[in-house]
Parts: sequence; C-alpha cells; structure tokens
Amino acid sequence: MTLQKLILVALRYTTLLLFGAVFLVFGSLSSKFLEPVNVVNILTQSSSTAIVAIGMTFVLLTAGVDLSVGSIMFVAVAVAGKMIFTGYSLGLSICAALCVGFVFGRLNSILIVRFRIMPFIVTLGTLYFGRGFGLWLTETRAMNMPDAVTQLGAARIAGIPIPILIFLSVLAAGHFVLTQTPLGRQIYAVGNDPEAARKAGIRVNRILGVVYVLSGVCAAIGGFVALTQTGAVSPTFGNQKEFSAIAAAVLGGTSLFGGRGTIFPGTVLGAVLIQTVENGLVILNVDPYLYPLVTSAVIFLAVLIDTTRTNLLEKLGRRPIRVEPVR
Amino acid sequence: MPHAQFMKRLLPIPISITLASLFVAMWTAGCGSNSPTTQEASGQGEKQLTVGVAFETLQTEYWVAGFEAIKEQLAKRNIKVLEAIANSDSNRQFEQIQTFVTRGVDGIIMVPKDAKTCIPSIRAANSAGIPIVLFNRPAGESDAKSVAVQADNFKLSKETVAFMIEQARKTGTKHKAMVIMGDLGDINAIGRRDGFDAAVKGNEDLIEVVSRVPSEWNQEKAQAGVVNALQAHPDISFIFTSSDFLFPSIVSAMKTAGKYKKIGEPGHVILGGFDGDATAYQMMKDGYLDATGVQDVYFEAEATVQALLDLRGGKDVPTLIQDPGFVIHQGNMDEMTPKMWGANIRK
Repeated sequence: MTLQKLILVALRYTTLLLFGAVFLVFGSLSSKFLEPVNVVNILTQSSSTAIVAIGMTFVLLTAGVDLSVGSIMFVAVAVAGKMIFTGYSLGLSICAALCVGFVFGRLNSILIVRFRIMPFIVTLGTLYFGRGFGLWLTETRAMNMPDAVTQLGAARIAGIPIPILIFLSVLAAGHFVLTQTPLGRQIYAVGNDPEAARKAGIRVNRILGVVYVLSGVCAAIGGFVALTQTGAVSPTFGNQKEFSAIAAAVLGGTSLFGGRGTIFPGTVLGAVLIQTVENGLVILNVDPYLYPLVTSAVIFLAVLIDTTRTNLLEKLGRRPIRVEPVR
Repeated sequence: MPHAQFMKRLLPIPISITLASLFVAMWTAGCGSNSPTTQEASGQGEKQLTVGVAFETLQTEYWVAGFEAIKEQLAKRNIKVLEAIANSDSNRQFEQIQTFVTRGVDGIIMVPKDAKTCIPSIRAANSAGIPIVLFNRPAGESDAKSVAVQADNFKLSKETVAFMIEQARKTGTKHKAMVIMGDLGDINAIGRRDGFDAAVKGNEDLIEVVSRVPSEWNQEKAQAGVVNALQAHPDISFIFTSSDFLFPSIVSAMKTAGKYKKIGEPGHVILGGFDGDATAYQMMKDGYLDATGVQDVYFEAEATVQALLDLRGGKDVPTLIQDPGFVIHQGNMDEMTPKMWGANIRK
C-alpha cells in the first residue's frame, strides 16, 4: 500500500481515529473513564442527541436543514407532560409526543415543498412558533415529572438501559432505510443533484416531504428520551439542540451541501464523540472555562481533516493534462 | 358563490394551516414582537403615568414571578404598562426600548440580556430624559446612567453554603463536594460561584471540592454532569447548585446513583441551591433540601418601581440597590415560607 493510500484510509476514518484518540487520552488520565459503567453512561447521555441527529442527517443529505428540532422536542414533551399530569397513561402520552413530531415535520414539509420556501426560513419560523406555543402551553412553569418517567430512563432490558435501546432501534431503522431501501438511495440522489434526480424519475418533492417528517418524529423521540433522564420539562427544554444535532452529523462526515454522509458510523460517532469529550472533562474535573475550548477544538479538527480528505480526493480524481512540448 | 364554499376554494389546507399557525403565533407570542403591547390600568383624575417594562426573557419561573410582581406594583400605583419581551435577543431589546422612547413613556424598567449590550438602550433613554431602572442585572461600567436592583448573588450564595458547611461540620466527617455552575457568561452565575468558593475557603479541612460542573443553565447538561461526577466520585456528599431550576435533573441523577435520601437518613447528601423556586420549596417541605438562598422577588419589584418614581421626582437614588435575600432552611422554614416566591406560586 502506498503512503498516499495509507493517508487516504486514515482520512476516511477520521472520526473513528479521533474517537479512539480521545478515549485513549482520557483513559490514560483517569481509570474511572474506562470503566464499563462510564461507557454505559456516555451512551445513555448521547442517546437523545444521537436520535435527533439521525433525523437531522436525513435532512442534511438532501441539502436542507431543520432548525426546529429543539422546539419540536419542547412541544412534544410539554404535550406529553400535560397528559401525564392529567392522568393519561404513559403509553398514550408517548404516542401524543410522536404525533406532535409528525405534525411539526409535516408542517415543515408542506411549507418547503408546496410553497417552495427555503428550509432555513421555514424551520426558523417553526422554531419560534414551537417555542412560543410550548411556553404558552406550560405557562413558563417547570413541570416535574412523576417518578414513573425517570424510572423508565433508569430501567434496563437484558442489562441495557432503555434510552440506549431506543437509540439503537432508531439507529438500526435509520441505517436500514438509508442503505437498504430505494428511499435511501433516492435521498442521496436528491442531495447530490435534485435536477438530475427529477430527470431520472425520482419524485423529489415526495423525498423532501418525507425527510422533514422523519426529522420531526426523531426530534420527538429524542425529546422523550431526554425527559426520562432530566425528569422535568423546563421552559428551556431542547434549547439550541439543533446546533448539537448539526454538529454531530457534520462531525460524522455529513456534508451540509447534501448527498454525502452516513448515520452509522458517521452521525452516531459524531454524537457519541461530543458526549465522550464532555464526560471526560467532568471526570477529570477540568476548569469549566476549558470545556467549550476543548469541545470546539475537537469539532474543528474533525471537520478540518474531513475537508482535507475531500480536497485530496478531488485532486487525485483530476485527469493529468499532458502539455505537448512546442516544436 | 356561498361564502363558505368560496373560502374553501380560496384556502386550500396548507394555506389554512399556515394562516392558523400565524394567527396562533401572533396571539400567543404577541409580547415577543418588537412593538410593545399595552395594558391599560384603570384610573381617573391626574395624568396617568406610562412605564415600559422590557424583559429579556420569560423562560424561567423566576422571570415570570418578577414580571408579575412588577406589574402588580405598577397597577397598585395606577400606572399604565407597556410590555415587551426580547426572547434573548439584545438587538430586539434595543428596538423595543427605542419604541418606548419614541412613544414618550414616563419610565423604563428593563431586564437586560447582559451587562454590555444594554448600554446603548440606556443611552437612548438618557438622551430622552427618561428614567431607567434595571431589574436583577446591572449594566457594565460606562457613562450611561441607570439604577439597578439586584440580589447580592455573592453574599447570598456564601451564606447558603456557609449554612451547609455548618450542617456538614455536625456530621463530624470530611465531605467531598460538587458545585453546579450556571452560564459562565452570566454575571449572576459568576457571583454565585464566587460566593460558593468564598464560603468553602478556610474550610478545606472539612470540604474538598472534587467536581465543578458547568451547566450553561441547561438541564440535560446538568443531569449528565452530575451523573458523570458521581461516577468519578461516588462518595460526593455535598452538592450546591447555582439555580434551583436544575434540581429535577440533579435529583434524577442522584436517584439513579441511589443517593437521594432525606435529611437525617444514612447517606443523605447535603443539598443547597439558589433562587427559592417552587421545586426547592417542595423539596424542603419533603425534607430533602437543606438550604436555599432566596431572591426576594417582592422586595426587588417594589424597590424597582419606587426607584423609578424617585428618579422621576428628581430624588437621589443609589446606582445599585441590593436585595439582601435570605437563606431558608429546615430551621426557619415556617417563618420564611410566606416570603419565598416559589412557595406562593405553588399555591
């Protein structure tokens, strides 16, 4: 294998290598970090962001963006919380939260597809609408959930915490759709070149409609997973979650211009990597002022290496032009 | 064509949804717009004063309680209120203050986004000769003139933590401590952190701070941080949070670790907070919370309105009026509960 190929392989697995490096560094500094319990903690804490980021990946792959995921999380758990307090069963409340995610996703897709409004503007609008609606619904009061909700977050099936199981289910479904179904291939095609996809007979509008609904539903699921851990719906619930979700997807190699990216290992590794860094910093009791510096440095490094790889691949793909000597 | 049929043709479902959404948005979030809304206070006789109240956000119970208390004080004095909420946007808040100035209000009460970005707003009010009082967050140093009413975050945190240390000393053992901090860009969060550090200083024989968790005022981050800290130091037995609103997340993490015990029970973690909200009140009543520093919202609201009227009347008003607040704990709970705003909003 030539050096060039070695470099390309290393660049291809940037996030994985960075993840390994982060694990090694924190592990060498604290033995607590490598304990299995802590690994489970990291996965549990990553679950909510990873689920939202999986939905976001579908949208980013079509060269769109969904800024409303944080607000959808808030409204979904606010509705579910209200229902739990009113005496409805936990199962019905979860269904209601998922319906909220579906309705918001559908609203986004209708406005984007039928009215041809830019996704950035539409989802910015639903971000504000959702936040305002959630505040009105909760009267800006924190809703502390009954123990049944937090017990759900702490419960285990076959030794695996329920938040991780939900995360793995969403991951498996998302990965399957993206890699094994025509819908997944069409999403990539639309993201690469919507005009070419249309000419190839793909119903572009339908694909765009579907990805925003998937994102909305994932946001609702992520919101409920977060609720089982925090045990309360506060007025700031889900605030700025859209940035964590986008960061996780981009960190995992998803292009903001569409057509390139994966849920597994890409987005999932991105989400877990961010949480791993934060977990390690707390375990080491690092100065809190350094948290944003370290986290942003890791994100910046990953994206920089990914861009270098793309540029290198482009350079290698160019046909060499032979210049004939002038006689 | 019948009207209903015409509307049906004119408004396909997506348009109806959009218009309905816009209507609900405008109806529910009217206070979030740049144009302040008006609430008339009844009154006859002498000229009725108008005061603009501009809050940065209403996203915590504390801000809602403060907003309501100020409006109550203004209504008591028969003063008309213009309301504006900036939704954490300092530019929007500047525009809202400009609107107040253009409308010629008699005074402005403001909760600024932060200490620096409010200075142009204060200058605009100064130029128009309109008195301005800042509620709970003072402005940074500049030539702009304003009065601020603020809880003494440093002193109140220090007193709360000092009380917790007293309880720790009674146990006769050394304690490992965790402090959950707020947003490091928020002057109030910094004051509370410094108060914690000042109280611990000199008591290192008893309290060893093993974990500092930055929450950025985010419940998910707080919950993850507490879980991680308890993983690294399972013997933590002393926790102070910079705001009571993080308690549900902290309690969730403590329950998972099996460390949420009542006062007096074996394994009880000495627990303290700041704010005095409804959750803290309930935890104190249930016997889990040792102490919390209470910001006296009612004092702050009254002092704010009085300062505004004094400025209008040409009286000398100090640039910073401090709310001394109070520490509520199991020993004085019955006596202090009526002054705890969190206990009152629960009713």
